[in-house]
Order: sequence, then C-alpha cells, then structure tokens
Amino acid sequence: MNIQKKIDVGLTIQQSAIKADQAHSLKLSGLSLELGGTPILRDISFALPVHGMNILIGPSGAGKSTLLRCLNLLHQSWQGDLHIMDKDVRTWPDGADALRRAVGLIAQKPSLFPCSIAQNVVFGLGRKARKQVSDEHIEQVLRQAALWGEVKDRLHDKALTLSVGQQQRLCIARALALAPKMLLLDEPTASLDPRSKQCIEASLLELAATMPVLCVTHDIEQAKRLGGQIIFMCDGHLIESGDSVDFFARPERIESREFLRWSVCDCS
Amino acid sequence: MNERHAKTLTMMLALPALLLPAVCLLYILFKGIPALDWAMLFGSAQGASFGSVTALWPQITGSLLLMLGACVLAAPVAFGGALFYALAASHRQQKVLLGMMHLLVGIPPIVYGLCGLIVLVHLLHWGISLLTGMVILAVIILPMLLLNSVNAINRIAVGRTEAAHALGLSNGEIIRRVWLPAAWPALLTGLLLGMARALSETAPVLFTATVFSGVAWPDSVFSPVTSLQTHIFYLAQEGANAQAVDIAWASAVVLVLLVTVLSFSASALRKIRVH
Amino acid sequence: MLNLWMRASAWICLAVVILLLGFLVQQSWPYWQQYGFSTLFSGDWYPYEKLFGLTAAIIGSFWAALIALSIAIPTGLAAAVMSTEILSGSWRSLSRTGMELLAGIPSVVYGLLGLWVLLPLLQSSLGLLTGHNLLAAGLLLSVMVLPTIMVMAQDALSEISSEQRDAAASLGMGWSERLWRVLLPQAWPGIRSGILLALGRALGETMAVMLVVGSMDRIPEPFYNLLAPAQTLTSRIGREIGESAFGSMHFAALMACGLLLATVTITISLLAHLRADNTSVART
Repeated sequence: MNIQKKIDVGLTIQQSAIKADQAHSLKLSGLSLELGGTPILRDISFALPVHGMNILIGPSGAGKSTLLRCLNLLHQSWQGDLHIMDKDVRTWPDGADALRRAVGLIAQKPSLFPCSIAQNVVFGLGRKARKQVSDEHIEQVLRQAALWGEVKDRLHDKALTLSVGQQQRLCIARALALAPKMLLLDEPTASLDPRSKQCIEASLLELAATMPVLCVTHDIEQAKRLGGQIIFMCDGHLIESGDSVDFFARPERIESREFLRWSVCDCS
Repeated sequence: MNERHAKTLTMMLALPALLLPAVCLLYILFKGIPALDWAMLFGSAQGASFGSVTALWPQITGSLLLMLGACVLAAPVAFGGALFYALAASHRQQKVLLGMMHLLVGIPPIVYGLCGLIVLVHLLHWGISLLTGMVILAVIILPMLLLNSVNAINRIAVGRTEAAHALGLSNGEIIRRVWLPAAWPALLTGLLLGMARALSETAPVLFTATVFSGVAWPDSVFSPVTSLQTHIFYLAQEGANAQAVDIAWASAVVLVLLVTVLSFSASALRKIRVH
Repeated sequence: MLNLWMRASAWICLAVVILLLGFLVQQSWPYWQQYGFSTLFSGDWYPYEKLFGLTAAIIGSFWAALIALSIAIPTGLAAAVMSTEILSGSWRSLSRTGMELLAGIPSVVYGLLGLWVLLPLLQSSLGLLTGHNLLAAGLLLSVMVLPTIMVMAQDALSEISSEQRDAAASLGMGWSERLWRVLLPQAWPGIRSGILLALGRALGETMAVMLVVGSMDRIPEPFYNLLAPAQTLTSRIGREIGESAFGSMHFAALMACGLLLATVTITISLLAHLRADNTSVART
C-alpha cells in the first residue's frame, strides 16, 4: 500500500516532468541579427522549459546580452522565429510593451529612477494599479528579491541611497511587481559584493521553481552553483546546450572544453 | 495607437520650430542677394551724399574693428581669470568668481550700453568712439569667454595635471605643456563664439560707438565708426526709401554670413578631440 | 608674472561688476530720490512734463515675454523631444545645426524681418492700422528665444543614460509614458534653466522689439489689448537715450529703467544657474 502510493506519486512526478518537457515557455529558432553590417548573432535556436533555471554562458563579446535584448524586443531588427508562451512575439497582443511586461529583463548595471524605494517597486504598473497597490504586494516582491529585511524601515527613502547590490535587488523586485511570466537577467551579479551575490543567487533559485529564469553569466563557478540547463554561446553562435551537470562533467565540443579550462574561447 | 497619436502631436508642434531656421535664412538670402553686388561691397564711398551711400565696406570694417578690439581686450582677462580660478583661487573665491560671471551673463546688452555711456562716453570723455564700443563689447563677451575657459580647463583629466605636478613641473610649464595642448580647441571655440556675439550685438554700440555714415576709416580709436549692425537698424526704418531697405537686406546677408561662418567654424572645431 | 596676470584678471572682473552696478545705482539715484518706488505704479511717462511713470513699459515687457514664452516653450520642447527621441542620426544633427543657425542670427536682423515681413502680415490679416504692437514683439521674441529653450532641453534629454531608457522600456512602458514619467522629469532641471534663460533674454532683448513694438507709452486698454502700439523697458531706453541730456532727470529715469531691468534679469539668470549647479552636484 505504502509502496504503491510512493510509486503513484513517483509516476505523477515523472508524467508532469514529461509534460513540462513537451511544453516550452520560450521557443527560439534560427535567430540572426546584424548591427551596422556586422553579424552579432547567427542562427540561434533553443527552447526553455515552463519553469526552472537556465544559464546562458560564454566569454564576453559572445552576444549573450544582445540575445537577451532581442528576446524582449529591445532589438527588433533580427530575423528568425520566437514564440513565448506559444505566441509569436511579432504579433503579441497589445504590442511590444505588453510583451515586455510579461518578460522581466534585469540589466547588468542597476538603473533605478530618482524616486523613493516604494515608488521604484511600482514604477512599471499602470496609473490605476499604482494607486491601488497594496503594501502587502510591495512587501511580497521585495521579499522575493531578498531585499525586504534591509529596506522595510525606509521604503520612502531615495532609492539611489542604496548600495549597488541592494539597487540590483530592487531592480529584480521592480520587474517582479509586474508579475512577469519569465525573468531574463543580464549578468545580474557582475561587480557586486559577495553578500549581495549570494542573496541574488538564492532568490533566483527560489524564483526558478515557479517560472523560467534565463540568467546570463560569464562566471563558470556561478553557473555551476545555479545549475539547471546550460546554453553555451561563443562569437554569436550557439555551441552546445544541455543539462548543467553533464555540461561541466563531459563537455562535448572542443570550444566548451577550452572555455571551461581557460574562461576564453577561440571559435571565429 | 495612443503612442502614434502622441508622436504625431509632438511632430506637429515641433515642425514649425524645425522648419523656421531654413525659412528665415532663405528669406534673408532671397531679399538680400539681388541687392548685393561687387560694387556695393567694395565701391567708392567718396562723394556720396547722406543716405544714398551704397558701399558697404566701411560698415564691414567698422564691425570687424569693433569685434577684434573686443576680443583683444577681453581674451587676456578671461584666460587670466580662468587660470586664477584653476590655480590660485580658494573654494570660496571660485564660487564668487563664477557667481559674478553668471550675474554678468544675465545683464541685458543694452544695460552694458547704458553703463558704457555713463562711464566711458561722459565721465572719461572718450565720446562716441571706437574704443568705447570695443570696451563695452569686451565686457559683454568677457563672462562667456571666462566660463568657457573654466569649462575647458575643468575638462582636462585631473590625473594628467597631477602627473605633471608629480614630475615637478611649475604652474607655467603645466599651462604651456599640459593644458594648452589639451584645451586649445575648446578655448578657440569659445573665442570664435565670442567674436560672433560681438559681431551681432547692436543695442550697446548704437549710441556709444557708431554713427550712421560719413566715416570710411576711423582716424583714431577716439573717433566714431560705422557698423553693419547699426546700419541695418537705421536703414530698416527708412520706409519711404525702397533702395535703403534693399541695402538693409544686403547688409543683413553680409552680417548673417559673417556670424554663421564664425559659429560654424566654432562647432567644427568643437568636434576636434585632442588626445 | 603668471601670478600677477591671474590676480589682475580676477580683480578686473570684480571691478567690472562693481562699477557696472555702482554706476547704474548712482546715476538713477536722483530719480528714485525724487519719485520713489511709487512710480512703478504710475502709468504716465511724459519726459517734457517731468512725468516718469514706469507701469506702461513694465506691462509691455511682461506681455511681450509672456507671449514669447507661451509660444516658445511648447514648440521648443516638442522640437527637442522630436530631435532626441524620434529623429535619428543625421536628421538630429541637422536640426541642431538649424537651431544654432537661428540662435546666431543677430537681433537687428530679426528686427528687419519683423518690420518688413511680420508687420505687413499682421496688418493685413488682422486688419490693423499699424502692425506695430505687443503681439508682433511677442511673436518675434518667441522665434528669438526658441533656440535657447530647444538647445537646453535637447542637452538635458540626451544626458539621460541609455540604461534609464532601457530600464523604462523593459518595464513595458510605452513611448509617451516613458516621456512623461522618466525623460521629462529627469530633464526638468535643464529644461527649467533653459526657460529661465529664455525669459531673461526675452526681457532684455532690445533691437528687434524696438523696431516692431511701436514705442507708444500707453498702458494697454483693456489690459489684454495686445494689438495697439506699446512700449517695453528696453525699447524705451533704446529710443530715448539719444535724446536725453547726461545728468538730467530724464537720463536718470532711463537709468532707473536699466537698473530695474538688470535687477530682474540678474535674479533670473542666477536662479537658472543656481538650480542647474545644485542638481549637477546632487547627481554626482
């Protein structure tokens, strides 16, 4: 009886895993981008599961940040096919702005607006929603971004008085306040203190349990800590993708091995 | 859709402002060019009777003399003041100096004319003269030259100056060998803009330095001159005399071209980056 | 040698400021002494009858500046927004060059344009006896202060970092929302300085105003009648300084106009720079 129950539970988990495998939150095929005549991204295809951590890794200059900017249409001049939640982004209902509300993007350098912490959190909401937003909602997103404890007593202070690490977490909270369907992060912990780095990584892992998170990094150690799916890019090409444990243990391509050893890669 | 409305509205509001420069310039050229010819620019001013003088070169020389004099008088003081700001002034003195310059920038040119009239024309008995005009224009362009020079020096990297100090260079050597090579385009840009300003100011020289006609070349700095700016002013009001208005448009073309050449060379110079 | 030059220059600057203000006060002193500040509220200016009321000219200056700004602010701001946020690359620099061109046209040439283009136009379209009026002065001034507003606003807008723009865009804010909630508030200190400088320029402009305003010392009747010949502080000085004898009460009264004008414009200019400096300090 007991055993049977366990098997049942195991089966359901497996089935849902299979289902998750079939459905994709984001499906990209054949994306290419040229800026000023120079090819930046060449024929990139991958898919993200409905939730979980995904790491986009590669040496600097590989086009990782540019790819993220393509995904939420900050760059629009690319060719290819991108479906998010099974909808073509080119014909997204209510246009690119609605798409960007559904896909949170956090930049490498925190960029807050010159107003209070609380106002920054609700900055992206519409006029009506800003007025009606509850304190609980603000608290909840700040907790999700692992910032609540540090700012709960000074929500009405200027946001720019925070440290850089806190500012970055506030940027995450600001994106979360819009209840996005997925989160894109562009080297969110580059040039941050170790403490903030730890906080952000922990909260990212927590968020990845409920939504797909795509995190760009060039830091191999960070990629190992975060785990999940790895997408390895170099010089505008997608070189290899797969489970992170496999990737770090048995990289298939010679470029991947070179990168894991030297943190650089020569594939042009 | 809302976004498109907002953009269209902005463009409709902005369009007159963006078209205006071309319209103004073309109209001035359209009116002035036909009246302008070689003989008018360089023809003889001798023997012509009052009001029918058609040669413009006395006015052009007068304007250029006023402009050059103003620059020669203002530039050393402005550069000296900027160096004082950068090298010798305490924080408080810096604030006072900048505050004074902002104060001077705010005073309308005609008030400079009034003060020049009191001090230079009447109290110093220089009379209506070239020198009076030069000094007044010099004071008018002084604040913009000084502020520009201070900005030019401030833009030089602190590290470079400190490195020069560390090598034991004196202040004079730092100015000559570090600051001037780095800042000369900015300093020259300011000077050119100052010249353009001195050339276009009319009100302050109207009753302190210029007369309507009769002066081809001033005998000394204490004699009055004729200038393009004031010439336009006098002729513009000669409503009954169509020829006078034509000459006013021709003078306007010459003046606008002179000022434009100065300010465009200034903006061309601004693009030079010295490394 | 260097030291001497530097200190001499600084002293000259100080001397210029003190002499300027000192002589303005000293020469207008007899006027203030005899007529006092009550003349600010008296409308009659008849130099030959020793009546020197300033109200007409003050109201004239006020109206001309008000018309100029109320046209130049929306147009200039829109032009700045269009050139930094809508136009791209070469069109942007072309619009900038155009504005610099407009700023470079000497005021007397604007006067010429006003006298021979704007006035006939107003005269025929509004059916007036003479086009010389405050409306013409205001329209002309609006063209003259437009570059100040546009260039300052353009600088302030383009100083906003691309990170801020991207951050606003990634939050899904639309174009007009970004403009109203991110760009304009952050550029506001610069825009405000531009507006203040334009106001100072509009109040102090002489030649162009003098040629079109009509130079009649009358308070507009009723006060919003902008279509009759009027007078501004600057046009009065420009018209009458040649006729007044040095040391006379008429001369002192004109000096008083100058002093009044200078006080107002200096305050405006210092306000513009003070605010600008404060914000730039706060930003670093």
